[in-house]
Amino acid sequence: MNHNVVEIKKGIKLHIINTEKFKTNLLAVFLTTPLNKDNVTKNALIPAVLRRGSENMPTQEAISKELEEMYGASFNCGIEKTGDNQVMKFYLEAISDDFLPQKEELLKKGIEKLIEIVFKPLEENNSFNDEYVQSEKENLKQIIEGKKDNKAQYAMDRCVEIMYKDKPYGLYKYGDIESLEKIQSKDLYEYYKNLISKCKIDFFVSGQVEENVKEEITKQLDFLNEREPEYLVNNADSEQKDNKENTEVVSESMDITQGKLVIGLDITKKRDNLRYIASVYNSILGGNPMSKLFQNVREKESLAYTAGSVYLKPKNNIFIKCGIEIENYEKAVNVIKEQLEDMKKGNFSDENIKNAKTNILSTIKFIPDEQDTEITYYLGQELANTNVDFEEYENKINNVTKEEIIDFANAININTIYFLTNN
Amino acid sequence: MQVIENLKVKEKMYIEKLENGLTVIIVPKNNLQKKYVIWGTNFGSIDNHFIEPKTGNEITIPDGVAHFLEHKMFEQESGVNSLDTLSALGVDANAYTTNDHTAYLFEATDNFYEALDELMDYVQHPYFTDENVEKEKGIIGQEIKMYDDHPGWQLYMNTMRCLYKVNPIKIDIAGTVESIAEIDKETLYSCYNTFYNPSNMTMVICGDFIPEKILEEVKKRLVEKDKQAEIKRIYEEEPQEIDKKNIEVTMDVSNPLFMIGFKDKVDNDENMVKKHITIEVILDMLLGSSSDLYKKMYEEGLILSTPDLDYEFSKKYAHVLISGQSKDPKKVIEEIKEQIKKMKKDGLDDSHFNRIKKKIYGGYVVEYNDPGSIARMILSDSFKGINSFDYLESYNLITLDYAKQVLEDIFREDNMVFSIINGK
Repeated sequence: MNHNVVEIKKGIKLHIINTEKFKTNLLAVFLTTPLNKDNVTKNALIPAVLRRGSENMPTQEAISKELEEMYGASFNCGIEKTGDNQVMKFYLEAISDDFLPQKEELLKKGIEKLIEIVFKPLEENNSFNDEYVQSEKENLKQIIEGKKDNKAQYAMDRCVEIMYKDKPYGLYKYGDIESLEKIQSKDLYEYYKNLISKCKIDFFVSGQVEENVKEEITKQLDFLNEREPEYLVNNADSEQKDNKENTEVVSESMDITQGKLVIGLDITKKRDNLRYIASVYNSILGGNPMSKLFQNVREKESLAYTAGSVYLKPKNNIFIKCGIEIENYEKAVNVIKEQLEDMKKGNFSDENIKNAKTNILSTIKFIPDEQDTEITYYLGQELANTNVDFEEYENKINNVTKEEIIDFANAININTIYFLTNN
Repeated sequence: MQVIENLKVKEKMYIEKLENGLTVIIVPKNNLQKKYVIWGTNFGSIDNHFIEPKTGNEITIPDGVAHFLEHKMFEQESGVNSLDTLSALGVDANAYTTNDHTAYLFEATDNFYEALDELMDYVQHPYFTDENVEKEKGIIGQEIKMYDDHPGWQLYMNTMRCLYKVNPIKIDIAGTVESIAEIDKETLYSCYNTFYNPSNMTMVICGDFIPEKILEEVKKRLVEKDKQAEIKRIYEEEPQEIDKKNIEVTMDVSNPLFMIGFKDKVDNDENMVKKHITIEVILDMLLGSSSDLYKKMYEEGLILSTPDLDYEFSKKYAHVLISGQSKDPKKVIEEIKEQIKKMKKDGLDDSHFNRIKKKIYGGYVVEYNDPGSIARMILSDSFKGINSFDYLESYNLITLDYAKQVLEDIFREDNMVFSIINGK
């Protein structure tokens, strides 16, 4: 296997993916910590403050200049909700030394720069630079307020919030305005110092990686302490949620011409290989253009331009999403319910199952051909504390039977129907 | 086959023009599982007035036909939708329509040749009936409405409406609910027969292939079609002046959106690549992440991230676009205008210029990571008459003097427009 993991120190892992497929090397650092209301906003703010300046590159301009000199190496950071964890993500991508017009050690330089930005921020009197924190607070505020701009995503976020009311997963990954306003530079710095001494740290290198890179990174990360990492393993036992008896129906309005319908489904029974069965079920229901939702809601009834479903593995929920004409709401909900009933009765063919499996497997086969997707796959495995390689994944998907899918379908409950309609 | 090699990215392009007029371009990628094929016709939303080569009739078509045709191509006489067939093969199939071309594509790991059968079959066998054309109007109507709610798309369309007086780039690619109502199967067949002739099409294939072998596979699947004379497209002469200075509308957005456009002359010479790179360098020096203006506006909280910077061009239009979000878009526009004046007055800084050139070069190299990105880029460039490798070779030819000249020529106030979407 080309994915190699070493624990540099307790709680800090280095993942090396050796591949010759790309013109670039991709480096990534992930800081993982449990999601909770007190910290969600601080965690969302930290990457934004870190990218403003470090010890040796004290301004954003200085960072940009360094990256531009490295043939436009790109630095990106962001925040993600993965199950009940919040992950702060930092990436640096630079051209492989083979494709440079002249010889330079870009990989080595990239590692240095990434570690510096994440772990050696600009510090002033035991605090972050106050100006940076204030301006990033303002920016984050605009991001939180901008949640409603992408209507389809907004409808999805609202449905999740309603389903996970007062639970960590119901939190918005960028946090909330109220907590944001209370954040002070000095406290945030203290919080950050504590965070990097306790959180789970995963460092990824993907590309044409020589043996000395491992030593180089180990050496450069030596200043970090070992830790019993604070994070939650994403598996069936760590799920925190209530399954509802009765469906909650929520409708909200906004100035839009096309309605956004999101239906959140619970899976009420645990079993072996649940995640593989759920993947196949989801694909038949709404995961591909041959699926029941796409065929019946979009093609046969012309009720929608978009119609499909997604399976959210870390939380074990399925979400149905459609963009529909406002007046077609009732009709669309009925057609969708019919599809769910069909699934329970086993009204789907072997052909449907075959298509679903082929579809899932083809996306698996693409993974090693996409540098960032491969890293995300291994991070997902890491956080779920599993080590399933592509071959095993393929076998498990192939082994899912029709009986298992029907049995699974009968353990599905509609938790919430959310509709974003016009004023 | 003509072979072009690029030593910078270590890739080769095999080009063959077949007897029937079809151009096939193959880029072998031997270490990937992913295979990508894209088949495009040089027919986009702006091609709405032409002379049918077969009959000599002059035809004007309703807005949105190219896109409508794209949707309808998947329908087969057997009642099966080709997208379903491709999806059942586990390949990721899609199609899209732009201002100047329409493309059909798929990406596969397994079942490549089965999928190629299907792709080449459906693109060569249209099946339009009164019923299936009517039904599609409902689906496309929904798509049009989706775009009506899309602030980014409205922002762009309004910019086009400011920049151009008559150029059909100012009409929506999908048309309007009213314009598509006029489409019938005769319109579709006429456009199909005109624009889907091999001599108006290009296919690009990227993946683990032996060029000679895959070329034979393509040839085997071609249907014989009558050779066609060149299509005469009719475009009304677009004046050099802009149509109006600005359009502002309100939508449900939290933070206003702005887009600035500079109208450029259509330049059909070989200068295009050089000019394109130079504009990218200038835009980055003006507003990129290490620019003075970006720093200033970011620190003042005027913008949250570097604006999107783009030079869009074809054989019929060319313009520079700068877009982003700001709580005070008017102020941003003023700042940009001032900075352009300053750059013209003070001249361009040599070290900044060279640094950005390196950055732009890196950006071109990254494009060669993915078969899909390679194939789409080559197809789109080919309809502009450009060889994509030229970007890697020409970047070093850009001089400071030339950049100064481009700055003076294009970044002027009299050809500048802006579009704003304000929140409610």
